[in-house]
Amino acid sequence: MQALAKGPAVRSPVSLSSAFEKYGIYIFLGLLFITASLISPQFLNPQNLKDILNQAAALGMVAIGQTVVILIGGGGLDLSVASVMATVAVIVAHNTRGQDALFFPVALICLVFGLLVGLANGILITKRKVQPFMATIGMMIIIQGLRFLYTGGAPKGGFPPILRFLGTGSIGPVPMSIFSLAILAVIAVIVLHKTTLGRQIYVIGGNIETAYLSGYRIDLVITVVYMISGFTAAIAGLYLAGYIGVSDNWVGKGYELDSIAAVVMGGTSFAGGRGGVMGTIVGVLIIIMLYNLVLLLHLPVQVQYVVKGAIIILATSFYAMFRKST
Amino acid sequence: MKKLITVLMAVAFVCTILGSVAWADAFPRSWLWDTNALKMVDTSKYKKKPPYVIGFSNASVSNSWRVYFDLQVKAEADNQKDVIKKFYVTDANDKPDKQIADVEDLVAKGIDLLIISAATMAALDPIVTRVMKEGIPVVCVDRRVKSDNFVSFVTSSNYTQGRMQMLWLCEVLKGKGNIVMLGGFAGAGPAEERIDGAKEILAQFPGIKLLDLQYANWSPAEGKKIMAALIQSYGKKIDGVWGDGLQVSGAMEAMNEAGIKVPVTGDHLNAFIVRAQEMGFPAMSIDFPVSMGADSVLTALKILNGTPVPFIVDVPRTIITTVDTENVKSDMPWSDMAHKDWPDDSWNNTLPPKWLPK
Repeated sequence: MQALAKGPAVRSPVSLSSAFEKYGIYIFLGLLFITASLISPQFLNPQNLKDILNQAAALGMVAIGQTVVILIGGGGLDLSVASVMATVAVIVAHNTRGQDALFFPVALICLVFGLLVGLANGILITKRKVQPFMATIGMMIIIQGLRFLYTGGAPKGGFPPILRFLGTGSIGPVPMSIFSLAILAVIAVIVLHKTTLGRQIYVIGGNIETAYLSGYRIDLVITVVYMISGFTAAIAGLYLAGYIGVSDNWVGKGYELDSIAAVVMGGTSFAGGRGGVMGTIVGVLIIIMLYNLVLLLHLPVQVQYVVKGAIIILATSFYAMFRKST
Repeated sequence: MKKLITVLMAVAFVCTILGSVAWADAFPRSWLWDTNALKMVDTSKYKKKPPYVIGFSNASVSNSWRVYFDLQVKAEADNQKDVIKKFYVTDANDKPDKQIADVEDLVAKGIDLLIISAATMAALDPIVTRVMKEGIPVVCVDRRVKSDNFVSFVTSSNYTQGRMQMLWLCEVLKGKGNIVMLGGFAGAGPAEERIDGAKEILAQFPGIKLLDLQYANWSPAEGKKIMAALIQSYGKKIDGVWGDGLQVSGAMEAMNEAGIKVPVTGDHLNAFIVRAQEMGFPAMSIDFPVSMGADSVLTALKILNGTPVPFIVDVPRTIITTVDTENVKSDMPWSDMAHKDWPDDSWNNTLPPKWLPK
């Protein structure tokens, strides 16, 4: 396992099967894209592609944080992300009252909120040794409760034009939100592959003993990882709120599981230490394209759940097949 | 006299014939009212001297409709405090097992009457039946139990809501065009009943074609995503959108971005009413009134006073439109119900100002 941790030290010759494992998801995305454009004439419509990208942005942002959390291993995952997204949306609507002037200070508060939730998750997991599943599900419920206390059940206010632009506007033909997702993804790739923090994340995920013997500050790294997830969830909440434009208590509902599905489809292993952000982004695009295709083909929207579930199982068994053999 | 009846019958017959010819673009509103609503229940055996102890077991306050509904119950109980000595409220968090325990607690506290909004029809049925057997009258509100073992059910017909919305949509389109329907949760009682009611009316308008029916989970986010895809699929072919709740506000966002302004239907959610006006959509709205919370308390007091009550109380509801059709007319100007200073997620209500969520 540990030999597979990203690092310049050992590099086994690239075999066909490992290349297939690594790039299979891209091939699948390509095939899905071609199939979609063949069976639905509307699929390649520029506006439709723009809709797909706009909808992929928020999920992509959450999934970046989720990837990093799952990479750290030890059963790492973050179920509190959707709750963070909804709470951020409510905070923005309440405090900006739809005015641009207040947007940046309030957005800053939202990001700090995301970081604090991550910090709390991290402390619970490292210092109190709570299972990540339980810690983050507990946090999810706490934030939900606090949100309802805060709004009294009915969120007030509205979203400022800047936020609407971030969620729905575009620069030339490129949607603003996908532009932001790209920036975030590039930063994540740089952090994971070019910094000490990134290397430590892969090593801890790959083999925690090695990390311990190397003298890494494991607790600190794990806590930072959950803070990254809280932070990206807060950004995603802002973009999704901007995209929908209606304040609602449940913005981002279902994104916790969708983001985990995207990460797993993208080849990041639940065991940790293996995978990365680019695969996750491809996973996100697959999920959103499937959703879009189901509707373009005039199938009931519920069909997407069946297809999504099947693809998750297919993807995991695909990876399991290759990983057992290596 | 006999002659008069014959003449009247002849006139009625001719009218029916003429009416059926003109069916394609009109339908009598009066046909939609439920004639069973007036079955009265004798409540003399429940008559008691005030002051009363009443328990209210709520399924949950997990969405904004339920929050406003819950406040309406509490506000009315507060308003009646000269006859209500003690008013207990429990919240079951949408969990039937918790609600069963809640009801048992309320009975142990010695309530004179139980008001319940049941989490599920089947799971709460045995306990409600038992409470009735113990001689404590039960009022169901918003959601009933499966059996008829209660005194009165305070509600508003979901079928009527769906029918009214569809009738307006078909009439505003003059009986011709293509529509899409956006439902709530697949399988949820209110969602399915409204869709069924709407389809009954749709069947009377052969010139209107249903392009697609999708469930948008009463979520603005789903509404927007689904509508965006439907617009790609059908484009300018969509002449109208039938919807029954929160999803319509998201769908309007998608249509607005695509520059499509076709007639839409919804209910009295502030976000829908305000945005339809701001964006200039022809629209119709009919509510599933949160005020039924207050009506449930009033019905409870009638029962304890021994006054007969209807077995099903169909609470009054308002219809608003931005453009009237032959059979669906606005009860008040649209702008009177568009409250720009209210939260998006608030519902038209009859709450006194001090009870409105801050």
